[in-house]
Amino acid sequence: MIKSIVLARKDVSSNFYSWLGILIFSVFFLAAGILFALVVVKYVGISMEAARNGYQNVEGLIMTHFIFGSLFADLGLVVLCLVPLVSMRAFSEERKQQTMELLFTYPLSDFDIVVGKFLSLIWFFALLIFPTLGYLYLFQWLGGSFEWGPVLAGYLGLLLLGAAFLSLGLFISSLTANQVISALLTFGLLVLLWSLEGLMGLANDPWARWLQQISPLTHFREFTFGIVDLGHVAYFVFFCLYFLFMSLRVIEARNWKG
Amino acid sequence: MAEMAEGRKTRVAEPEAPVMVRMECVSKKFGSLRALDQVSFSLRKGEVLGFLGPNGAGKTTAMRILSGYFPPTEGRVWIGGDELFKNSEQAKKRIGYVPEALNFYGDMRVSEFLDFVAQIKSVPSKIRHAHIEEKIERCGLPEVGHRLIGQLSRGFRQRLGLAQALIGDPDVLLLDEPTGGLDPKQIKEIRHLIRELGRERTLILSTHILPEVSMVCDKVMIFNQGRVVATGTADELESGLRRERYEIFVVMGDRHRKDDALAIFHALPGVDGVTVLEEQGDRVSFSLFAPRGTELRPVISKLFVEQNIPLLEIRASKLSLEQIFLKIVLDEQMAQQEP
Ligand SMILES: Nc1ncnc2c1ncn2[C@@H]1O[C@H](COP(=O)(O)OP(=O)(O)O)[C@@H](O)[C@H]1O
Ligand SMILES: [Mg+2]
Repeated sequence: MIKSIVLARKDVSSNFYSWLGILIFSVFFLAAGILFALVVVKYVGISMEAARNGYQNVEGLIMTHFIFGSLFADLGLVVLCLVPLVSMRAFSEERKQQTMELLFTYPLSDFDIVVGKFLSLIWFFALLIFPTLGYLYLFQWLGGSFEWGPVLAGYLGLLLLGAAFLSLGLFISSLTANQVISALLTFGLLVLLWSLEGLMGLANDPWARWLQQISPLTHFREFTFGIVDLGHVAYFVFFCLYFLFMSLRVIEARNWKG
Repeated sequence: MAEMAEGRKTRVAEPEAPVMVRMECVSKKFGSLRALDQVSFSLRKGEVLGFLGPNGAGKTTAMRILSGYFPPTEGRVWIGGDELFKNSEQAKKRIGYVPEALNFYGDMRVSEFLDFVAQIKSVPSKIRHAHIEEKIERCGLPEVGHRLIGQLSRGFRQRLGLAQALIGDPDVLLLDEPTGGLDPKQIKEIRHLIRELGRERTLILSTHILPEVSMVCDKVMIFNQGRVVATGTADELESGLRRERYEIFVVMGDRHRKDDALAIFHALPGVDGVTVLEEQGDRVSFSLFAPRGTELRPVISKLFVEQNIPLLEIRASKLSLEQIFLKIVLDEQMAQQEP
C-alpha cells in the first residue's frame, strides 16, 4: 500500500509537470468558475423576485436544491469530458515510454501497480475539484446563503462519479499504448453509459429499466439533490472494483511487447 | 590484448557457496516462435556469467525472465531460495536489472528517479539519502544529478541503469548488453565498473561481443536460436572450439525409455552437452555434441535397435559451434561498422 502511494505520487507530480496536466487543471477550474457565476446570477435573480413578492429570506434547503442541483449535474458533464484526458496517460504513457519493464522487475505486486495508478488518478482528480470549494466560500462571503450538507453531498457524488469514470479509463489505458485511442475509447464508452439514463423516457419495460440502472447518471442524480443513499454509493464502489479487477487481469497477462 | 589479460579472472566460486540463481528447463514461446528452449543452469554466489550469442538468440528473453518481467511458458526459476514467479516480491528484492532498452521516466530528474526507486525498493528512510548519494558517486553520475533523464546521453543512461539496479544492494545483478551503443571510451569505463561490481556480487551479463565475455566472466553460455549450445569457462570454450564439435539430433518414440536413451548417449566416447530438447506425447528429442571426424549416427542407431528403443529420427546439425561463433563475430563487425 505504501508502495502504491509512492507510485501515485510520482504520477501526480509528473502530471503537474506536463502541459496537459496544467491545461486540464486550468480548464476545469475555469469551467467550474463559469458555472458558479451562472449560479450566482440565478441566485440573485431569485432572491430579487422573492423580495418583490414579499418573502423575506428565501434561502436554506430549498435554495440549495434549486441552485446547486443543476450546478453539480453540469459539473458531472465537465468531468465526463475531462476524465478521458486524465486517465489516458495512466498505463498508456508507461507503455509508450516502455517503462513498464523496469516497474515489473521492482519488488512490487501487480496489485500494488494497479492500485497505485488508480490512486494517482483519484488524487489528481481530487486536486481538480477541491479548489472549486473556493468559489463557494466566495459566494458565501458575498452574502449568498446555502446549506453545506447537501453541497458536500454533491461533492461526494462528484468524487464517486470521477472515481468510477477513472477506473474505466484506467482499464482502457491498460489496453493500448496510444493515448489518443485510449482517450477516445474512454470518452465513447462514458457517453454511452451516461446516455443509458435517458432510456426511462423511451420505454418502460424491464430491460430499459435494467439498462438504466447501469448508467452512472442514474446513481449520480440523487447526490446532486443533496441526498446520500448507500445504495448509490455501493454502485460506484462496485463500478470501480470491477474495472480495477479488469485492469489487474490485463496487467497480469503481460501480453504487450517491449 | 593487454586489457584482456588484466581482466581475465581465474577465480571460480568456492563449491560450497550457495546457489543464487537457478533456471530449470525454461522455455518461452511467442506465438509459435520458441524464443527460449529448455534452458537450465545454476549460478553460485559471487560468480559472473555471460550470455553470448548473435542477435535474436534469446539473451534478452532469458534476462527478462530472470528479472521477473514475464514468466516463462514452461520451467521454473529460483533467485536465492525463493521461486521467482511464486514468491516474487521476496525474490525481486534480490535482483537489480538493467534492461537493454534503458527507458526511464524522461520527465524525472536523476536524483528524483533514484529516490523513487529507493522508496519502491523499501530502502529505510533514515539511510535513503546517503544510500542514493553513494550509488550516484559510484556510477559516476554526480554531474548530472539534477538533469532531466530525457536529456541524458546514452552513456549516462547506462550509468543511471546501473545506479537504479544497485539501489537496495541486491545480491544478483542482471545486465542486458551493458555496452551496447556506447563509444569506445564509454565501453572501457563501463567494463571497468562491471568488473568491480562482479567482485562483490553474483552477476549475469549478456552480450553479442566475443571478447567481452572472456574479459569479464567466469562462465559463459552460448545461445543460438533460443537454445544453449555450449557452456563452460571462456578457456574451455575456446579449446573446445579448436577441437571442433558438431551437434546430433535424435528423436525417439517412447518416453518411458528416456533414461535408457540418456544412458546410451552418456556412454558414447567424446560426447558431451547431452540435453533433452522437447517431449511431446511419446516423442522425445535430444541434442548432443560429438567430436568432428567421428561418425556416431550408425553407433547410436545400432544401440537403439539392440535395446529395442524406437528411433524415429537421427541427423547431424548443419550449424557447428564454430559457425555460431562466426555469426557472433560477424554481428560484432557489423555493429562496429555502424556509427
Ligand atoms: N515480445 C516479443 N514478442 C514476439 N517475439 C519476440 C518478443 N521478444 C522477443 N521476440 C523474439 O524472440 C527471439 C529472441 O529475441 P531476444 O531475446 O530479444 O534475442 P537477443 O536478446 O539475443 O538478441 C527473436 O526472434 C525475437 O524476435
Ligand atoms: Mg537482446
